[in-house]
Amino acid sequence: MANKVLLVDDEAGFTQLLKMNLEKSGGYEVMIENDSTQALATALSFQPDAIVLDVVMPGMDGGDVQAQLQQSPRLSKVPVVMLTALVDSAELSEGAVAQAGTTTVLPKPVDLNLLLRVLEEVLPEG
Amino acid sequence: MQKQSLVESVLDNLPVAVFAKDATDDFKFVLWNKKQEEITSLRAVKALGNDDYDLFSEESANYFRSVDKAVLKRGKLLKVPEEIIDTKHRGEVHLRTVKLPVKDEKTGHDLVVGISEDITEQVQSLRQLEHLNKNLVKTNKELADTQMQLIQAEKLESIGRLAAGVAHEVKNPLAMILLGVDYLSRGIDPDDGNVETILTQMREAVERADRIVRGLVDFSSQRALSREPVKLDLVIEEVLLLVRHELTRTTTNVVIDIEDNLPHVFLDMSKFEQVMINLVINAVHAMHDTPRGELLIRGRSERIKDVIKNQGARKFEVFREGDRVVILDIIDNGSGIEKGDVSRLFDPFFTTKATGHGTGLGLSVAKKIVALHGGNLTLENREDGKGARARLILPTEIDTGKVSLVPKLLKEIDT
Repeated sequence: MANKVLLVDDEAGFTQLLKMNLEKSGGYEVMIENDSTQALATALSFQPDAIVLDVVMPGMDGGDVQAQLQQSPRLSKVPVVMLTALVDSAELSEGAVAQAGTTTVLPKPVDLNLLLRVLEEVLPEG
Repeated sequence: MQKQSLVESVLDNLPVAVFAKDATDDFKFVLWNKKQEEITSLRAVKALGNDDYDLFSEESANYFRSVDKAVLKRGKLLKVPEEIIDTKHRGEVHLRTVKLPVKDEKTGHDLVVGISEDITEQVQSLRQLEHLNKNLVKTNKELADTQMQLIQAEKLESIGRLAAGVAHEVKNPLAMILLGVDYLSRGIDPDDGNVETILTQMREAVERADRIVRGLVDFSSQRALSREPVKLDLVIEEVLLLVRHELTRTTTNVVIDIEDNLPHVFLDMSKFEQVMINLVINAVHAMHDTPRGELLIRGRSERIKDVIKNQGARKFEVFREGDRVVILDIIDNGSGIEKGDVSRLFDPFFTTKATGHGTGLGLSVAKKIVALHGGNLTLENREDGKGARARLILPTEIDTGKVSLVPKLLKEIDT
């Protein structure tokens, strides 16, 4: 069965394009949540294997969502990929990624190949 | 000794020097009052009965004699606004003198009577004033220069802020276009070769735009530097490795001449590498039409001296006399810099390269990074006219307080 990835980002166009790419190139089953306040509920029902989370969002930001996920026994072990434009791309150039616990930080705008590589690493064999 | 006459005591108490020469008797002095003794450091007993040639240098004596003769010839008073005599005790003394012809009625001799006022102090004050004035003019010019630099810096900062805003807004749409291209390129109809070409060109166009955006972000970067003491030869080695492809492709010969035991410099490695890569690539591109391109990278250490000469006040703030600095030259034998381009080299978006081959941000970013390091970057044609020279001057000390140079100009970055 294909691994399930949840995309949480307020930008609908971006998530839609990313979803199509992840489905096509990674063979993942992808769900989109554009409203961060609904992220936890969606995650609980969708039960993703990985969550791609934008940091800057209206309502709840990525950090808040991540804290919620951490507190949920069913979701706390799910690997999270945080996308942020706050990290200078120069600092994470050449495909470097910053990792802390189950969270991987990727610079935004996201490089599709880099995201696919990271997902491959953090996800269990599909 | 004769009892002093009334006239003599009046003369001796005058605040001006008074003397008289007998023109009929070879211009020998016949009168020499107290003040004259004081001014000339010569006693009356020595002066009386002698002439100018006995008492002063030949040059001075010639001059005095010619004035005396002119007075006699004209038969009336002559003013000498300033004359200088060399004295034993006081060196050069400046005098304002009037000379007048007088007929001695007893002897019938023609006399030249002189009255001199010591104006040495006034002259010195005037000189000082002139000197101060000259300094003031110079300071004023430096101020004007600094103001120009401030305006320029302010201009660059404004561009930077504007650019950062634009860059941020443009980054995400670009990423989305790229995602779209990524998607489309994974399902191309193999029979339609055009689709692949179109997608490749679209991707290249987006990447080009992305490079410009990144350049803009770098240019306006407010990120603090993360500096560490490094050996310059290692940095250069690494940079050359990164641009090896470009050097091989253009068959550029690289000569490295780094002084032994160069002091460490405090650099943010990744930022500084960016500077070096920019400068090296620029040099390589400038040697495009040179049959045997040769790149010389020369490093040496020096103590700063004569800081102010030909440099603006802003640079003066960067280094002080006696500071130990490392000077790194990147010298090419390429086409050099066009005269009209010199003043715009470091302006953002200024480029001499064809559209699409340069963002015009490389040098402005490099200059800014070097400035953040408390250093200085200049670019000029070689003295022999056979190419250009980029010169980096870098401080070797970090805790001198000079690191955060021109704090006002770069306050955005410091805060």
